[in-house]
Amino acid sequence: MLPETEPFWQAAKRHELVFQQCRACGQRMHFPRLMCHQCLSKDVEWIPSAGRGTVYSYTIVHQAAHESFASEVPYVYAIIDLDEGIRMISNVVGVEPAAVTIDMPVKVMFDDVTPAISIPRFTPA
Amino acid sequence: MSLRGHSAIIGYGETEFVKYRDSGTRSNYTEQCDAARLAIQDAGISKDAIDGLIAIPPLDQKVSWSMDLAEYLQLRLTFLDNLYFGGASGAAGMLYAAAAIDAGLCSTVLLVGGSTMDPKRMFEFGSEVATPFERDFDTIYGPMTDNSAYALIKQRYKHEFNATDEQIAQVVVNARHHAAKFPNALLKKPITAEEVVDSRMICDPLRLFEIVMPCTGASALILTSADRAKDVKRPPVYLLGGGQSIDRGMWNPAYGRDQSLTTSPVKQATSKAFDMAGLTINDMDFAQLYDCYTITVVIALEDIGRCEKGQGAEYIEKTDLTYTGSFPVNTDGGQLGRGQPYGACHFMPIVEAVRQLMGRAGDLQVKDARFGLASGNGGSMANECTIILGNETP
Repeated sequence: MLPETEPFWQAAKRHELVFQQCRACGQRMHFPRLMCHQCLSKDVEWIPSAGRGTVYSYTIVHQAAHESFASEVPYVYAIIDLDEGIRMISNVVGVEPAAVTIDMPVKVMFDDVTPAISIPRFTPA
Repeated sequence: MSLRGHSAIIGYGETEFVKYRDSGTRSNYTEQCDAARLAIQDAGISKDAIDGLIAIPPLDQKVSWSMDLAEYLQLRLTFLDNLYFGGASGAAGMLYAAAAIDAGLCSTVLLVGGSTMDPKRMFEFGSEVATPFERDFDTIYGPMTDNSAYALIKQRYKHEFNATDEQIAQVVVNARHHAAKFPNALLKKPITAEEVVDSRMICDPLRLFEIVMPCTGASALILTSADRAKDVKRPPVYLLGGGQSIDRGMWNPAYGRDQSLTTSPVKQATSKAFDMAGLTINDMDFAQLYDCYTITVVIALEDIGRCEKGQGAEYIEKTDLTYTGSFPVNTDGGQLGRGQPYGACHFMPIVEAVRQLMGRAGDLQVKDARFGLASGNGGSMANECTIILGNETP
């Protein structure tokens, strides 16, 4: 794990969704970086997300690219727009894939895949 | 500063495209060297005239590929580059080669790409080149290599513009129509929009026949100065303009940024290319558009200015885009009709544009073609390059 990404995963383990904001210019960003990509300040902080957003686009994957996902098909791989202005890739779960739509309101949930790793995914809000 | 008309393509070569399982003893080396040989012979020059090389490393090769290729072919060079940013590398390579020739770094450049690659290993290669950030924030969610990225684009496009799968499927119908007459094509069987829409769902809303089939093959081109081009055996094809545009991450469409999924960097790249050429979309006699997926062509047709944003699907449905039609597109069948040999596909649109402009397109010849557009597309419509070619300087 990189120093850039570790705080994100530490927070996820606590079931908190976080992203970065630049203290100098206010730019918000994801994925995490050591510096602000807008003003290049290294003074960036982690702030919590309420974990709510909408589906910007999605696909229902019918054929897994890797065997580790083979038992999951069909599953929804999506771009989520968080209310805080952050765009992230995730899955939409807890709903029939065919029921997912663009602009659907979603909220975060945390999938405890191992005792050490929790992955943020989204369910219908 | 401009590269307009300063350099010209004097020859090209393509190996026979075959399915991976039929590759036999063909290797990454044999493919690229064979395409290079064909291009050099086509130009009618001596191998020793080559003093520049731009090569596309096959996905399973180390990134010093171009040096290894130069050693294999015993080339003596003053310019070398190794382009590894996906399907835009071919058109961009033409621009870099033209700039190098213009600057006096070299005089004649061989550009080559191609490979023989097991499609089953695509995910493995994708994982190897993924950034740590992609692994942490994308790979864990189960993307299906490029398929899922383009499915996100198509889904958003359908949503924004009420486009139908049947309209978008027409891209494949046109591709197969051309491929049926093109000698070096793997998917020669004509197809209907209905058959495309009925094909197996891979990444909803992308179906099997909307996705290119990986295969074995290679393509090469020779670019030299316009002055030297006068000495070759047949009329050359001039590089009249070009532009490149990169404004998003390679694989995650709009990841962390707010760029539209439905307006691509093709728009800026093409605008730059037309500015340099002093031409407009109305001067183009055809377009050879990078067509890894159906939706790529729909968006590119809008972003090169052939129709309004959002009307691409309807435009494709209502316009004759075949070689005898009002605006011929992908007259060799494109990748959707010919198959996609990784690396060769970077050059395929350019090779077909040159074939047309040299009047060597046989049964698929666009009548009186003078100017044409060729595009390259890398990642998920992330890195785009458009070049304008002509058999005369306007």
